[in-house]
Amino acid sequence: MAKKLLKGNEAVAEAALRGGCDFFAGYPITPSTEALEYLSWRMPELGRVFIQAENEIASINMVTGAAVAGARALTATSGPGGSLMCEGFSYAARMALPYVLLNVQRWGTGLGTLDSGQTDYFKEVKGGGHGDYRSIVYTPASVQELCDMIYNAWDVAEKYMVGVVILSEAYLGQMMEQVEMPPFKERPDRGWAIDGTGLTGMGEFAKKTKGADGMKVKGEGYEQIKEDLQDWEEYGLDDAEYVIVSFGLPGRISIDAAKQLREEGIKAGVIRPKLVWPFPEKAIAKLKNIKGLISVETSDYGQMVEDVALYAKKYGLNVPVYLYAHGKGVPGVRIVRDFYKSVAAGNEKEVF
Amino acid sequence: MALYELPTNLKKHSLCPGCGHGIILRLIAETIEELGLQDKKILVLGVGCSCNANGILGGDDFQCAHGRASAVATGMKLYLESQGKDVCIITYQGDGDAGVIGLAETLNAAYRNENITVFTINNSNFAMTGGQMSWTTLAGQKTTTSVNGRDCAYTGNPIHLPEMIASQFDVAYAARASVCDVKHITQAKKFIKKAIQNQMDKKGYSIVEFLSQCPTNWGMAPVDAAKYVAEKMTVEYPVGEFKVKE
Amino acid sequence: MKEIIFAGFGGQGVLTSGLLIAYMSANKDLAAVWMPSYGPTMRGGKANCVIKIGEKDGESVGSPVMENADALVVMNEPSLDYLAFCKEDAVIFANESGIPKDYKFPEKMKVIFIDFLGLAREVNNEKGQNVVAAGAVIKYFNLFDEQYALDTMCQFFSEKGKGKFNDINSDAMKKGFEAIK
Repeated sequence: MAKKLLKGNEAVAEAALRGGCDFFAGYPITPSTEALEYLSWRMPELGRVFIQAENEIASINMVTGAAVAGARALTATSGPGGSLMCEGFSYAARMALPYVLLNVQRWGTGLGTLDSGQTDYFKEVKGGGHGDYRSIVYTPASVQELCDMIYNAWDVAEKYMVGVVILSEAYLGQMMEQVEMPPFKERPDRGWAIDGTGLTGMGEFAKKTKGADGMKVKGEGYEQIKEDLQDWEEYGLDDAEYVIVSFGLPGRISIDAAKQLREEGIKAGVIRPKLVWPFPEKAIAKLKNIKGLISVETSDYGQMVEDVALYAKKYGLNVPVYLYAHGKGVPGVRIVRDFYKSVAAGNEKEVF
Repeated sequence: MALYELPTNLKKHSLCPGCGHGIILRLIAETIEELGLQDKKILVLGVGCSCNANGILGGDDFQCAHGRASAVATGMKLYLESQGKDVCIITYQGDGDAGVIGLAETLNAAYRNENITVFTINNSNFAMTGGQMSWTTLAGQKTTTSVNGRDCAYTGNPIHLPEMIASQFDVAYAARASVCDVKHITQAKKFIKKAIQNQMDKKGYSIVEFLSQCPTNWGMAPVDAAKYVAEKMTVEYPVGEFKVKE
Repeated sequence: MKEIIFAGFGGQGVLTSGLLIAYMSANKDLAAVWMPSYGPTMRGGKANCVIKIGEKDGESVGSPVMENADALVVMNEPSLDYLAFCKEDAVIFANESGIPKDYKFPEKMKVIFIDFLGLAREVNNEKGQNVVAAGAVIKYFNLFDEQYALDTMCQFFSEKGKGKFNDINSDAMKKGFEAIK
């Protein structure tokens, strides 16, 4: 199939539908709105349910209601909208309901700005809502990856009975890039859904599966997910002196920066996580003889850097961990390259 | 032949003696049985004493976050409808759940005229948490957060949910019932039947608020609590139908 | 790989200029990324986009953000800020009616003044100054065969339901070609 030039937010919406999404509830918020706009006409065309909800609290609760009724349910939001949804994420996790959240991250705390950013790392990876749960968090770096990840998101969510987050970024949602759109997927029979009979709903489902009890998912499911879902792109790890860890658009840029550094004879390496929960610890585990790790992220104070340091410790890497926190926007190749050189020259202070 | 039998789909509950919830749940169970909806009913539960309805009516239940039942019911109903499934979705919520923390969800579902049935039980306090003031608490009524009696000049006035919905939104049905005596219980059952039948007839949104006695938190004997509903609550909250779409 | 910035006021159509060229690249299965300004800046203020396009098979776009542009199409004075994102020897396509003739550009840059609006008016296509600009960029860098560019532009606008303007848009693009000697 030929590739088409598509906008991130619209491409991801179409790919979601092809992956089986048959229910959407959401509230407009920049920079995620194009997904909602696209679905508002496309879903009725396909005979699927679209609701423009009154706010994000209602959106996630509508998603919950539809998910328990058997839907492949989606909501999409950004920044403040995601905060409102946190209550719903926690409830869905407690009931082990599969659903997908598209978070097109904007930068900042509170209202933030409409700029690109990665300031929702903690919120998505460390929970966000109350209690003790995890969501599977994909971090795409191109419009194609965005599509491929959401296309399979419900298969993954239903396999492990957890929420899946597609952690997009403002720039990724707004930009256009070539995409090969996958075909419409046949939905497998999930084998359960609440339907009023009391025979196929949550109660019976709970008996048949590990789900419907968050504690069980935690004990058995979460460890299995950590084992199964290790995915990253790497560059130059074999002989790297310093290794940049960076996801999403900054990750893609970091690989460009490392390539330029190599042209100058500097042995730079990159790990670009394609999922940040579970964190690609197997990539960290294979590092040998490196001088340090550098987390490149578009947060203000560093978020993923804490996980980089924790996994370095887990695998006995006694090296300094540096942080380049770009704040809003996306760093250019030059900036990442220069930071690497500054680290190598001993001009930066490690954070861990 | 027995004079009276409990509906077969009603299981044992653990509500306080004299609580109005038990009567209301029995009326709902009877109605579901009479309309032949035992295999089509999903009870979408709020948080509060309404949680006690979990698992006692047969069919399916779904426990929501506090206040969100109308949103959950909306998603559930629209999705199942899109799958060609004819289900009866009833939210069962307290006055705090539907009319305080969940006011936005309740009003927005009514605004959209979602084809669901909302039952909200008004016992004029937050009963599950030990009797705090609700938006439905009567002027002067003592609760654990209005120990000198509710001062409406400071807290706002009692809220009238079904009247509000009837006056503002294009819904199918809005009514208030009471379960303080036999006459009102008989009337309440008629309201329940209409509210459920409307959904099955795809007429749209129906809400019934029930005035319900709460002997435990009111510190009264059950008989006195029923009397309090009849003599005090119905003055503030008139019983009747406020909107009936033909 | 070419990196080109298009900048102007909202309404001057600079987003479409870039998109047209990105579309032409993508249509040849060459790499293409189009990154717009968005949000409040779209609502009446400054607008810009950057495109990164592959020039040969197998090239891919790494960083999608503006940083080291080969060219800048600049429609108004405020957009001269984007010179900061250009290579020192970048080509500047400056709007004659928006940029002062005596503006001091960095020395090594090649500056071409074009009356985008005037040329568009010559073919009765008041709104076509962005198409003139795209034509000039295509011609200057010899990005595509002229006929391919015209045909693909028509295809682009037809897909968007704007095919009825294809004739005057073709005329505008030809004006852009002609502006480059």
